[in-house]
Amino acid sequence: MIRHGAILLCALAAGPALAHITPPVTLASDRDAVATLLPGAKRYFVREVRLTRADRESVQQKTGWSPDEDFCRFYLGRDEQGRELGAVTFLSDYTIHGPVRVAVGLTPDGRVRAAKVVEVTEETYPWVKSLLDQGFLSDLQGRDPRAALRTTAGKASMTRFYGEVILGLTQRAAVLYEVAGSRPPSRE
Amino acid sequence: MNGIHLSRLPLSGKVFCTLFLAGIGLGALAAFTQASTAVGISPSAVESSLAPEMPMTHVREGEMSAEKEVDLAQVANEAKVWIRTPLLIQTSHTHLFSQTLIAGVLGLIFLCASVSDRLKAAIVALPFLGTFVDIGGMWLTRFVSPSLSVLVIAGGTTFALGYVLIAALSLRDLWFRKEAA
Repeated sequence: MIRHGAILLCALAAGPALAHITPPVTLASDRDAVATLLPGAKRYFVREVRLTRADRESVQQKTGWSPDEDFCRFYLGRDEQGRELGAVTFLSDYTIHGPVRVAVGLTPDGRVRAAKVVEVTEETYPWVKSLLDQGFLSDLQGRDPRAALRTTAGKASMTRFYGEVILGLTQRAAVLYEVAGSRPPSRE
Repeated sequence: MNGIHLSRLPLSGKVFCTLFLAGIGLGALAAFTQASTAVGISPSAVESSLAPEMPMTHVREGEMSAEKEVDLAQVANEAKVWIRTPLLIQTSHTHLFSQTLIAGVLGLIFLCASVSDRLKAAIVALPFLGTFVDIGGMWLTRFVSPSLSVLVIAGGTTFALGYVLIAALSLRDLWFRKEAA
């Protein structure tokens, strides 16, 4: 009786324990990420864009992902003459081991200037750290992520998986900028 | 309950109940610490993690986009846990299972305590109610009104109150009450 009860309790507890999300690990603040990914910027702007149905369908078609929110935010950097130097946007993917949040810096023509992982969880941190130590993010610089990206980083399956997650977020950011972010504001 | 009283349990039963209550108490303290460091324990902190992201530019209905100049100091410099819908689903399912399981085992122990049945019914319901209000409050904050973040705090407090009452009364029965045979 007691043994059966104990087995039942363990079985009931196993699901939640396996799926439990570990505490967040913040690798950079939003402010640090914006400042780092917009080098040379003297003035900063926030551009917020409402996504139309056509925008969503276009993003979905190009990435297989549908944006969670009905608007998206870009931080823009400009020099003293007001020339646009690029944009930064933040995107998250909610994996079974917890969220991964990435800041992607884009040049005005939509190429990746650089990307930063800003938040992971305690559980995902070792896998992501392994990628960062290999210089995985440096390999993204200057690439056009609107074309499908593939990673060869990381032999371990989880490291490779998180490499794909980060690449996916980078691609989504670039497509989102192309579809909606580069649209001139209707109000300044 | 049905002739089973905490005060009459054999030593092994008393040790089991005591260690379970102690373990859940320590777990609750760790959970409180994690919640206070990762999200915060004020309604405004809960609101900022759960409520839908508000536009910084106050982009109006019917406008497709808006832009405004900001100072870099306006961009968040603090770590902040963003609990968006997918994470809310994950958090809800893990916490509803685990907290209900904890409330259930706490309740099983407390059903054998020597208090009136009405009081027992009220106290045993607290951890369950706390769980429902806590998780329900997260969904209401996200989808109904950010001001309902106070429910998340109220739910957590109700769960904690239930645990404290159950643990205190159960430990009293386990170790200090002499039941007449």
